Amino acid sequence: MDPLVTTQFLNIAFGIATLAVLALGLAIVFGLLGVLNIAHGELVMAGAYAAWIVQSAGLPYALAVPLAMLACGLLGWLIEAGLIRPLYARPFDTLLATWGLSLLLRKTAEAIWGLGYKSVALPLPGTVDVLGAAYPRYRLMLIVLCLAGVAALAAWFAKSGAGTRIKAMVANPDLAQAVGIRTGRLARNAFVAGCALAGLGGVMVAPLTPVHPFMGIDYILESFFVLVVGGLGSVAGLVAGAGIIGGLGSLVSAVADRTAGYTAVLVIAILFLWLRPRGLLARA
Amino acid sequence: MSARFEFRGLVAGYGGTTILRGIAGAVAAGEVLFVLGRNGVGKSTLMKALMGFLPCREGAVRLDGREIGGLAPPERRRAGITYCPQERAVFDELSVADNLFLTAPPGAAARLAPLAERFPILARRREQRAGTLSGGEKKILSFVRGAIEDHSLVLLDEPTEGVQAENIERMEAVVREQCAAGTAFVVVEQNLAMAERLADRWLVLDKGQVVAEGSGRPERAAIIAHIQV
Ligand SMILES: Nc1ncnc2c1ncn2[C@@H]1O[C@H](COP(=O)(O)OP(=O)(O)OP(=O)(O)O)[C@@H](O)[C@H]1O
Ligand SMILES: [Mg+2]
Repeated sequence: MDPLVTTQFLNIAFGIATLAVLALGLAIVFGLLGVLNIAHGELVMAGAYAAWIVQSAGLPYALAVPLAMLACGLLGWLIEAGLIRPLYARPFDTLLATWGLSLLLRKTAEAIWGLGYKSVALPLPGTVDVLGAAYPRYRLMLIVLCLAGVAALAAWFAKSGAGTRIKAMVANPDLAQAVGIRTGRLARNAFVAGCALAGLGGVMVAPLTPVHPFMGIDYILESFFVLVVGGLGSVAGLVAGAGIIGGLGSLVSAVADRTAGYTAVLVIAILFLWLRPRGLLARA
Repeated sequence: MSARFEFRGLVAGYGGTTILRGIAGAVAAGEVLFVLGRNGVGKSTLMKALMGFLPCREGAVRLDGREIGGLAPPERRRAGITYCPQERAVFDELSVADNLFLTAPPGAAARLAPLAERFPILARRREQRAGTLSGGEKKILSFVRGAIEDHSLVLLDEPTEGVQAENIERMEAVVREQCAAGTAFVVVEQNLAMAERLADRWLVLDKGQVVAEGSGRPERAAIIAHIQV
């Protein structure tokens, strides 16, 4: 294969794999709790800053993973207790509150670190030869890890008792409580896990993008489009959504330019909202 | 009677409306209490209040002498109460097997064996989604899920809705066996014949209050006026 084609193909795979992980946290929270957390992108931003802090302190990059997940998980725990639970079953109020929170988090980051871009060096420099194309080692590692991670999560959700209890809670919350499932606790844990995943996403993308207080906006939009296209409630839908949004974005950006890529994604998302509002693979 | 389960002065409703206006009842271990009444008088509301789905504005609920009126549904289930609701009685998205064993206590599989013989549909459809069952089959699944929980109190809200006569007989046999082992039942039924065969106590609700009650089998003549539309 032409090395150029191989590179483009890998770029598309990279776009899909990272987007799937970035959207995953949002999908968990939206799909399980019915809560659209507008501040999700700011948690990605917080994870990216965690990576920058770890690297600036001269510590091994891998340390950023537990640090970001802990910090974002803790933030998530506070957000759930302070905003999400008090506004339970009031989706519009939740939307407003998490939107306000996203402003607050951006301004907080700005106050602490300023508006300037921070750059995070690649923790894994160099390239690997893939079918004659020299492809960045770090990106290749992310493709593999993201796909493996999403596949492992899908298997866990399909097979584990906890996964089944989560499905039960989503399908019939009253009956779930009647058979002893503490739905409040399960929902809180799901929210915290979603936030921790956003932090992980931030650590992943930090070396590939400028780190700054407003970086979250792009991620929340793209992740939201993934959910619009893929539909809620299944990992297959998430992957399909990430495939269409991430794949289309990378493809159009490659043949035309980045703006055309954004436009194509927006058009697709609007078409889906209009023609197939429940998404590609949503349950009936 | 030393009551296994008793409730007194229950006042509860949805939002601002009051449905239950001071309801009392009791059932001893090994007994079946039937709750009868016309459509919409608040029978299911009573069951939801007993399981903890509706906060009681007034009243007390006791299980084996322990006040449980402040407990949420998952905690009431841990305290030993099984609840089989009238509507949405199974998890449609889950398989029959997952419905049975999702949160089943130890020993549930062994307790299922004799029940699966009585209700072979469960074994036949074991791996299928419960959503593919008919209304009556879902009621059987819900009933059996409750039966293998092996609790001290079972709340059944219209367990025979849509169930064929032969399966109703089998359900009654299971209730009798579990009563003999000491379980107490509170059963909401439209099916008066079932109450006439099984009841140790009964009460009739109307307009959120108990308008008639008694022990032993209910006399059709005594309650028919309260039940007919
Ligand atoms: N979730 C709810 N919110 C508000 N009102 C409700 C709700 N559920 C029931 N009601 C009302 O409470 C009253 C009692 O309803 P309930 O379901 O307890 O009656 P029921 O005796 O079980 O009737 P049925 O025999 O039809 O099952 C009815 O007037 C009903 O409209
Ligand atoms: Mg009812």
